Amino acid sequence: MTAYDYDELGLVAGLEIHQQLDTPTKLFCRCPTGRREPEESTRSFTRYLHPTRSELGEIDEAALEESRVDREFTYLAYDSTCLVEEDDEPPHQLDGEALETTLEIAELLDATVLDGVHVMRKIVVDGSNTTGFQRSALVATEGEIETSDGSVGIEDLMLEEESAARIEETDGGVTFGLDRLGIPLVEIGTKPDIRSPEQAREAAERIGMLLRSTGQVKRGLGTIRQDVNVSIAEGARVELKGVQSLDDLDDIVRGEVDRQVKLLDVAAELRERDASVGDPTDVTEVFVDTDSGVIAGAESVRAVPLYGFDGLVGREIQPDRRLGTELSDHAKRQGAGGIFHTDELPAYGVTSDEVEALRAAVGAGERDAVALVAADDAVAERSIEAAADRARDAIEGVPEETRDAKRDGTSSYLRPLPGAARMYPETDVPAVEPDPSGVETPELLTERVERYQSEHGLSTELAEQVAYGQRMPVFEAAVDAGVDATFAATTLESTLTELRRDDVPVERLTDDHLLDTLELVADDDLATEGVNEVLTTLAAEPSLSAETAVEETGLSGVSESEVREAVVGVVERNAEQVEEEGMGAFSALMGEAMGALRGKADGDLVSSVLREEISKRS
Amino acid sequence: MNAGDRVRVERGDVTHEGVLMPSTTESELVVKLEGGYNVGVDREAATVDVLDTDVYAVGTAGDTESGSEVAFDDDLPTVALISTGGTIASTVDYRTGAVTAQFDAEDVLRAVPDLAGRANYRGRVVANILSENMTSDVWQELAEAVREEVEAGADGVVVMHGTDTMQYTASALAFMLDTPVPVVFTGSQRSADRPSSDNVMNAVCAVEAATADCAEVMVCMHAGSSDDRCALHRGTRVRKNHTSRRDAFETVGAEPLGHVDYDAASAEESGAVTFHADHTARGENDLRLAAELNDDVELLKFTPGMDAQRLERLAGVDGLVIEGTGLGHVHTDLVSTLDEMVDDGTVVAMTSACIEGRVCDRVYDTGRDLLDAGVVEAEDTLPETAYVKLMWALANRDDPAATMGESLAGEATDRSTPWQA
Repeated sequence: MTAYDYDELGLVAGLEIHQQLDTPTKLFCRCPTGRREPEESTRSFTRYLHPTRSELGEIDEAALEESRVDREFTYLAYDSTCLVEEDDEPPHQLDGEALETTLEIAELLDATVLDGVHVMRKIVVDGSNTTGFQRSALVATEGEIETSDGSVGIEDLMLEEESAARIEETDGGVTFGLDRLGIPLVEIGTKPDIRSPEQAREAAERIGMLLRSTGQVKRGLGTIRQDVNVSIAEGARVELKGVQSLDDLDDIVRGEVDRQVKLLDVAAELRERDASVGDPTDVTEVFVDTDSGVIAGAESVRAVPLYGFDGLVGREIQPDRRLGTELSDHAKRQGAGGIFHTDELPAYGVTSDEVEALRAAVGAGERDAVALVAADDAVAERSIEAAADRARDAIEGVPEETRDAKRDGTSSYLRPLPGAARMYPETDVPAVEPDPSGVETPELLTERVERYQSEHGLSTELAEQVAYGQRMPVFEAAVDAGVDATFAATTLESTLTELRRDDVPVERLTDDHLLDTLELVADDDLATEGVNEVLTTLAAEPSLSAETAVEETGLSGVSESEVREAVVGVVERNAEQVEEEGMGAFSALMGEAMGALRGKADGDLVSSVLREEISKRS
Repeated sequence: MNAGDRVRVERGDVTHEGVLMPSTTESELVVKLEGGYNVGVDREAATVDVLDTDVYAVGTAGDTESGSEVAFDDDLPTVALISTGGTIASTVDYRTGAVTAQFDAEDVLRAVPDLAGRANYRGRVVANILSENMTSDVWQELAEAVREEVEAGADGVVVMHGTDTMQYTASALAFMLDTPVPVVFTGSQRSADRPSSDNVMNAVCAVEAATADCAEVMVCMHAGSSDDRCALHRGTRVRKNHTSRRDAFETVGAEPLGHVDYDAASAEESGAVTFHADHTARGENDLRLAAELNDDVELLKFTPGMDAQRLERLAGVDGLVIEGTGLGHVHTDLVSTLDEMVDDGTVVAMTSACIEGRVCDRVYDTGRDLLDAGVVEAEDTLPETAYVKLMWALANRDDPAATMGESLAGEATDRSTPWQA
């Protein structure tokens, strides 16, 4: 990829960070926020969505385009979801804990909390919300974060509901899972203050750190998503959705700048050639006897002449993506399988004679290109129009749009940019007046790292691992309970990593398992050497408690001499009974001995010691 | 400063620019920002500049377009769409934030384009009220409107009605009207201003039912959670049995009279409407309206320990429907009061709070005493339906007490067969 001078190009970027909150219940109902597997679904139902007008009487362009395709949506419900997710019960009031965490985040972003928080409906008719809208509320504005290239303004902080998870797509529609729908989600939008790909990544990292500092955000794949808005001076604002990994963020920005530069080159050349786009026409006749399987199977073939486009439709805009790919993506949105264009023909079973006939049928000459769509009548008509519109935009330059970000730094067309028209008030939820005065500022993870070093003497590396790690709350609790900090940190980071490498399913260990195990060591009820084995046992059988696992593994911290001491005590207290009954007193004394050892000792050991002690005296 | 003005609101260090919304209150300014979000700003703490007046005519969504004349197609049946208000024809009231009805029948056509091409439509607004504000006067106006529409040649009538009291209005029309064409009530449980509204499917299915063969008063609403089919309920046997679900309406004591398959209806295939039981065929009855009602009727739900005085206060009413316990009982101490009321000319009809099943006052002593007192059994008639029926019977029948034991419009059955339609 070309190295660019981003200042000269006038790169402007902004971020939208979406982070799920780790509250016990969802934003508008009291359902739990845990994720489920599709196989666990207990029932399902199907729905359609229809676009509506906003309170200003407008229909959103993005919503309208989505709805042109009449799709049936299937929803999987679980024993952990209720009628609210099914849009069969009005939403409950906004979850207080989610709002509390959002206010903490506002504090960390140095943003001003609004006097009145009004929940809005953001129209989304792709089926990912059973209602046809996402509930979203603006909570705070005008914040700021620091990066090494200067500060980046925070435009807004929203609290909203997570959408339903897309499970599979079929010809007729899409299947979604309701487990994710309604999980509280904060959205942070920066101002367009970002001027380089590196700064974009740093700002995202900073925001991610602030979010995790609350200790109230979900962790793991898909729980945080980054969108990035990119434009260059001559280009246009393009929203790239769904960057899953921070590591990809700078590449995505670089890739988009490159794409816009190349589109501008194409546009300049097209204008020089005085290019234009003609009217789509029906060319089904041309392909009556075609050998092309794709075309022969279709009801109708439609084509549009692209005057002056010859050679440019096949021009590479991104690695492995041409201008033709963009036209194709727009056609696909209308239901077509894609387009063919003359820059790539003859191919796919289309002969050169057919290409000539096609050019003649639409009045295209040597310097022109032709794009065609083969599909059902209505689909072909809509799809070729969409491709023609995209071709017209190519003469203008870069179209504003929403694109799907891929891991390799490329992207594909998703839909038009959403507008303000897709918002209207959620009348089912009363507005709330948040009170940020009682909100405590959480300790930043960066501050935490420093504290772990100074207070607990951890190395920088270990301190960072613990502070940024998922088990940080366990570490805090263990240290509070008197566990040695370095031991706790090594166990939670190095030991667990080792065990994971040995294929121990450590993700099944609960915070209680870990904390209890650490405390058993601190109380000398478990030897340090036994920790790996106890954790392995617990991971295999998560229903056990740490204490029972210690017993089962025979790693009880009670030595034989301690057992003997306890047993002798029991026998002496019951000397009379032992003398009279001999071994007959065994079962009664066994119970007492186990009680005296608080169940920490191995039963077989206690039993044999007890037999010895009784036989000595009888 | 008025709703619809573009304003700049300064509050501390923060400035908001946008359109002032009508939901603004005395203490809070509500501003719609560029991005579409509404924000609340403390009015006292803010300074406001009006940048531009009347940028948007807010709160009149849908009013801006002129109604287009739909061409008449001789090959299509004619369906009268009568609106009484309610969720199906409603939009958000930005002043109160609540959902209120603002659409007339033409707006419904505009809101539900899927209705086009199924019939020629005659739009009419009888009322524009939420169904909890419905009165028996409106039932009468509505019945008269239906009669006029059928006289004017409508092949079927669709009544758009709020769901809360739809079952009362449907019952009222079932008693008042002999109809040669279908009269189909429909509504929606999710307001029309949301993409997931059930109004589209319910309206499409109701129009299909209105052009079908069953000349009865029916309610057409979702049969289940899915957007796949609507159930057709007999107007006198239907009950709203859930506060919020799409499939809140159920036929009590039987399977629904019929169903409308939405996929078939959407594809405009034949056979979308099926009926599962005997019904009055199109054209079987001549059009006749008996809209008289006697409003002096009470519906009383008996509760344990109810004070006799509560009943005594009702002395002198023309009709009383009791929702009794179990097979149709009240506290033994109330029987003498009922006895006096009957002697005094009140028609007292017994129904059951069980909702499902038939009243039978011959099984226990209390029941036998009630019968001796002159209380009449309303068989398996729903309490709400019995209430409407008694209003009608008092105004139209010589022996209203005896009428409560007969079936006039399918409200009572001879045989208890809840597993069939």
